[in-house]
Amino acid sequence: MAASLTGLLKPWTPRVLLVRWSRYNPYYLEPEPRKEVYHIPETELTPEQKEERELKSVRPIKAATNSVTSSVFNDPVLSKFVNMMMKDGDKIIAKGIITQTLENMKRKQVEKYHKAPEGKKAETECNPYAIFHQALENCKPVIGLASIQKGGKFYQVPIPLTDDRRRFLAMKWMITECRDNKHRRTLMYEKLSQELLAAFSKEGNVVKRKHELHKMAESNRAYAHYRWW
Amino acid sequence: MAMQGGTALQEKVSRMLSRKHKKPVLKPNKPLVLKDEVANRKIKKGEATCVTEMSMMMACWKQNNFVDTLCSNEMQSFYTCVEKAQIAVKNKSEQHTIGQSGRLQPKQATILLKRYPNLHVEI
Repeated sequence: MAASLTGLLKPWTPRVLLVRWSRYNPYYLEPEPRKEVYHIPETELTPEQKEERELKSVRPIKAATNSVTSSVFNDPVLSKFVNMMMKDGDKIIAKGIITQTLENMKRKQVEKYHKAPEGKKAETECNPYAIFHQALENCKPVIGLASIQKGGKFYQVPIPLTDDRRRFLAMKWMITECRDNKHRRTLMYEKLSQELLAAFSKEGNVVKRKHELHKMAESNRAYAHYRWW
Repeated sequence: MAMQGGTALQEKVSRMLSRKHKKPVLKPNKPLVLKDEVANRKIKKGEATCVTEMSMMMACWKQNNFVDTLCSNEMQSFYTCVEKAQIAVKNKSEQHTIGQSGRLQPKQATILLKRYPNLHVEI
């Protein structure tokens, strides 16, 4: 009897703690992690931004995820790439690989910079983040193919893709290419840095895959009217 | 008046089901009960948008052997066309949900019917 009474004296905490749900009421708004947005003075806001601020002061806002920060190093595209590379929820390893990749790219580019003649020095891009973004841009396909059924047969119809889909395809191709088509003994960061630098200069297997998709779409352009949206 | 209409309909149905005079007209395999929902009728099938832009871009690709830098104009026009098409689709769906022109949308009808469903258990 004494044991059960002492058990009741503890302060009540819920057994399942709310961290950040992924399912929210659609009433909730997205958080804004970037600092620059809040440093704009009142006078320079456009009417839409003023309206947005009014709305944000009355509506509830979702909790920000752990991967989102307000620091200058927070890059949503890079975070998405890290998440896609992650296996079994091991973000530490994935983030480590990405940092090693960026460092490796920087080293290679600095070496090229020092070896380059005076005229070409300004052209070599040394910022690994810029290289990453440009490489990803070069890998994004412009149109995709969809399997549409017409008259009992399935045709590969060229369709326009959304920006999210294009970004996803570019990242997916990059990761699968690095995982599958490289020498067994090279480490992932080495493979990724090679492939990203190749994509930056529009060579390499990922850009080739993008071109092949474009060629398929071009050869199937007669079926473009099978779309209904 | 609705009750009279209701009983007349029930008499007609029972006559159609009966085997007294001739073969029954109706041989239902499920009970003759209305569902608490309305089928979603799709609007008219649209056409493919941005086909001209796409074909121009593809012609440019064919000419330049799929090098992207030389076709940037066509690609830009294609992207703008796609954006416009997406906005148009969004506006059209919004307009459909808001302005029904005298008739309920199938989704709205389903919501109302679900609020007052058919009783299948005696209260």
